[in-house]
Amino acid sequence: MGMTLDRLAREVEALLMASEKPLSVEHLCELTGAGTEAIEQAVSRVENALSRGGHAMQVVFLAGGYRLVTDPELGGVVSRLFEGRRPGRLTRAALETLAVVAYSQPCTRARVEAVRGVNCDSAMKTLLEREFIVIAGRMETPGRPLLYSTTPAFLEYFGLGALEHLPRLDEIGKLLALGADDLERAAGEIQEEEYENP
Amino acid sequence: MISEAERTDSGACRVSLAEFEGPLDLLLYLIRRDEMDITLVMVSQVARQYLEYVRNALELNIDLAGEYLVMAATLTRMKSGSLLPSRSGAPEDQDDPGKALLRQLILYRAFREAAAELRESEGAWRDVFTPPGERERFQEGARREEAGREAGSIMDLLEALEALAKKDQPPTPRIIERPALSITECIQGLSSALPGGGRVSFRTVLGENRDRRRVVAFFVTVLELIRRGWVRCRQESSFGGITLERTKEWA
Repeated sequence: MGMTLDRLAREVEALLMASEKPLSVEHLCELTGAGTEAIEQAVSRVENALSRGGHAMQVVFLAGGYRLVTDPELGGVVSRLFEGRRPGRLTRAALETLAVVAYSQPCTRARVEAVRGVNCDSAMKTLLEREFIVIAGRMETPGRPLLYSTTPAFLEYFGLGALEHLPRLDEIGKLLALGADDLERAAGEIQEEEYENP
Repeated sequence: MISEAERTDSGACRVSLAEFEGPLDLLLYLIRRDEMDITLVMVSQVARQYLEYVRNALELNIDLAGEYLVMAATLTRMKSGSLLPSRSGAPEDQDDPGKALLRQLILYRAFREAAAELRESEGAWRDVFTPPGERERFQEGARREEAGREAGSIMDLLEALEALAKKDQPPTPRIIERPALSITECIQGLSSALPGGGRVSFRTVLGENRDRRRVVAFFVTVLELIRRGWVRCRQESSFGGITLERTKEWA
């Protein structure tokens, strides 16, 4: 392969550079008029060119699409650019709450509280504010509690390509199927305390 | 097994309760067997320690979350339950607080570990930065307006000034018309159209003049008369004609 990139690869690179969110293969096809396979190959040509040229950028698959990112090795210097402006790391409460929502979505707050055994008000609020979770509807049960699910921003934040890439997916899936009765019962006990914003 | 030193180490309890993410977290900490299956025996072994933690916290007037007390009650119930022979025929899983708690602990532990792995990913990806794209200039929908407003041009200032100037002007007087008909007038009209014991349709009462305000005034009057019990009214079907009947109460 030569040192210069072909037209399609350059188009893909430019799109990844200008995009504010990951671009799916389908979206790249749509924008360039190329086919799926051609896009996949163009992406890997960009990847190769970047790594061979010793560039500070990489192409990664995040939240269902390709994204241009900086090399983690350079995190220190880039962090300085945003000093004082970056939101802090999530608390353990927020991470646990997020994990429960991610694996059981869409799910109610009562469900999260049943799993964690504590009130999750402020953790849920933080996650909503940071747009890692959104309201996905209401459960058709008495009280019609709100249902929450995770967002693409959540996947991006944790470097996940898709929900299927969540850690311990099989293990937790099995556990969730197993203890459904007991979890529901526990959820019922906590539900009484739940309130809802009109 | 839990060592005797840990069992009686209540000093540590006092400082560390705030570090736990609730009663399940505390129980898992007390069990401390991350790699093994949690069993009922293990839970009942640490129940005493758990209760001690809670008692200490209460003695020190620490603002204890209610969940800790609920768990204390569950554990106490478990302990007393284990002294009694289980009723034959009763479905065990349904009523057994121990089994429910066990499942809760197992599930919570799995999520806790998933959360720990997410924390690692978070740390790794905090050193990764993405191009901002054209988000500043080409925001979609409502956000575009917000961004524009934030930027603030001289035109925005002029618009704001104009809006303020408008606010300072006295409001233009509006003429509020008196209703064409008062309820009293309507009652007089109804009285003449409706002799004692007689019936009349609402349409007839209104006559030819179907001015909206007049219709509303008469309709409100009819409602008032129904309230007073002076007329009864009937309507055969939705949107059908209304027949009014004068009662004896209307002297």
